[in-house]
Amino acid sequence: MTTQTAIFRIDGVTKSYGGVKALDAVTLEAGVNEYLSLLGPSGSGKTTLLRVIAGFEAPDAGRVYFQGRDITNVPAHERGIGFVFQNFALFPHLTVRQNVAFGMANGSESISADETAQRTQAVIDMVGLTGMEDRGVDQISGGQRQRVALARTLVMQPKLVLLDEPLGALDANLRGRMRNELRAIRERMGVTFLHVTGSETEALAMGDSVVVLDRGRIIQRGAPDDIYSNPQSPDVAHFLNRFNMFDGVLSAGNFAGPFGTVAAAKATRALRDVYAIRYDRLRVLPVSASAEGPALKATYIANEYLGSSVMNFFETTDGKVVEVEHHLSLGAPEIYEPRQDYLLTWAPEQAIVFGREGK
Amino acid sequence: MESRVLKPMLAVYVVAFILFLYGPFFVLGILSFQQGPDGGPQFPITEWSTYWYRQIFGLTPPSRIAPLPVGEALIRSLILAFMTMVTSTVLGVMSAQAFRRKFRGSGVVFYLIVLGMMVPGVLTGLGTSLLANNVFDITRHWYTTAFATHVAYTFPFAFLVMLAILNRFDGSVEEAAWSLGVSPWKTFRKVTFPLIFPGVLSAMLFAFTLSFDEFPRSLFAAGGTEDQTLPLAIYGTFSVEIHPNIFAFGVLTTLFSFALLSVYGILMGLSVRRARKLAMQEEIA
Repeated sequence: MTTQTAIFRIDGVTKSYGGVKALDAVTLEAGVNEYLSLLGPSGSGKTTLLRVIAGFEAPDAGRVYFQGRDITNVPAHERGIGFVFQNFALFPHLTVRQNVAFGMANGSESISADETAQRTQAVIDMVGLTGMEDRGVDQISGGQRQRVALARTLVMQPKLVLLDEPLGALDANLRGRMRNELRAIRERMGVTFLHVTGSETEALAMGDSVVVLDRGRIIQRGAPDDIYSNPQSPDVAHFLNRFNMFDGVLSAGNFAGPFGTVAAAKATRALRDVYAIRYDRLRVLPVSASAEGPALKATYIANEYLGSSVMNFFETTDGKVVEVEHHLSLGAPEIYEPRQDYLLTWAPEQAIVFGREGK
Repeated sequence: MESRVLKPMLAVYVVAFILFLYGPFFVLGILSFQQGPDGGPQFPITEWSTYWYRQIFGLTPPSRIAPLPVGEALIRSLILAFMTMVTSTVLGVMSAQAFRRKFRGSGVVFYLIVLGMMVPGVLTGLGTSLLANNVFDITRHWYTTAFATHVAYTFPFAFLVMLAILNRFDGSVEEAAWSLGVSPWKTFRKVTFPLIFPGVLSAMLFAFTLSFDEFPRSLFAAGGTEDQTLPLAIYGTFSVEIHPNIFAFGVLTTLFSFALLSVYGILMGLSVRRARKLAMQEEIA
């Protein structure tokens, strides 16, 4: 059962390794020309999910559909799904050109030598490796290897490309550039990408849609801004790495935490009671000031300069570290005295409250 | 302090080791240049000559010492070693490939294979000859029964070499090939095999040399005189009288082995480049 627009769909896929469930009844669908980011901590099953879709692993239960066809039992080389590996997995004994042409030269489809050469050159030009064709893959840089891996996959013109943390092995600068290139390539070629990543910034920046995976289950799916502003569970908020999270007790519309009891007008249903405030929603006041909203006394420890913003670290009386982000576009950061107490305050309606009695 | 004692001791040990390793060969090498046909297999050298080398190739006038009956045995041994090398290496690669995935009873199968190199050769040879004579009633030949024992003996070596190589092999390059639409068999030929080739070369070298000078298994498993392999033929000449022609022949076979090793070394050197590339790739991972 697949919809017209879905390029692939997995249905109730379960996969265990020695009794541990890497995937637990995962159902997921992606449309044509969609860029889907899969975010999850290591061990959340995201790589296993890609490997099941690619056909490198067989699921214990569930079905995999691709272009309207049940491919659960189709071997990997007959699926027509591209896969870009975290370590790139280039063929070390071949040149850049031979790597890119490999699928066309050795696949079951018979493609003429002329066409192979032509398509190989076109895709090498596209990823910007012109002039490197005859180098060995050990004679090029990390970023260039990544592009060979991508070119090798794209030249086969797959309708679905699985990316297994392909930017993880690159330095931050290159990662940013490759991110832009990936987006551009995709818009040119009309391919559906399924991108696994452990980096929340990458997931939010790249995906049309972000899927958050935890312990083999999908815990939220949505547009990046939706996930960012409305995490559905404390775990999602935690993975986004953008929230200060306080444990406490939610009862009758009030949240009792380390900052006293605060009214919580709306709460999201969750298994535990958690009060989450985004890093950039906190304001710092002198300890003597009287705050309008809820307030928490904390000691300033240190700061970290992040380029476009400054992250300030405070410690509460019970030893919890609270992070306060100051965007530099809002003006020069204030200077805080180390080991001095300050008052952290926020507007209660900007907090996200999770609790057993939430809706 | 420690190194002042330890280092000279180790140095002495190494010298002694090399002496024991090459000493006998060195002595044989000298004696092979003994005067002939009257010079015996002992010092002193009455006169330096290449008589015994010429005698092996039948370039000397007939004398009371018969030429070594090794011509056909040598051919037999070379063919047998080649057959064994090909068979054992193919089996070794295939079985090591199978062991990349755990399967039921893999532990038992592993020990059954490795047993082939543990079991005393005389027993294998004797057992094979009894089996051939009394159970199956087939005639023993160097290319049948002896061949089988040689494979049983060298296959575990090839298997272990390939197992070690494939253990370090990163399977993601194979998966990459599959995801490009290349069938598993073609992937093996175009990706896996070129990358494990250094290991295959080592397995081949092991199988060939082990088979070439294999004695106890051939002794029983090969048939009569017309089935003698080289080690058997040489042994046969010992029982009569020893002449320096055996030493000369020993020097020649050793040179042949060195030639073989050189070919191995050259081929290995060529594939080191490849291995270095592989190592680079592992670093990224």
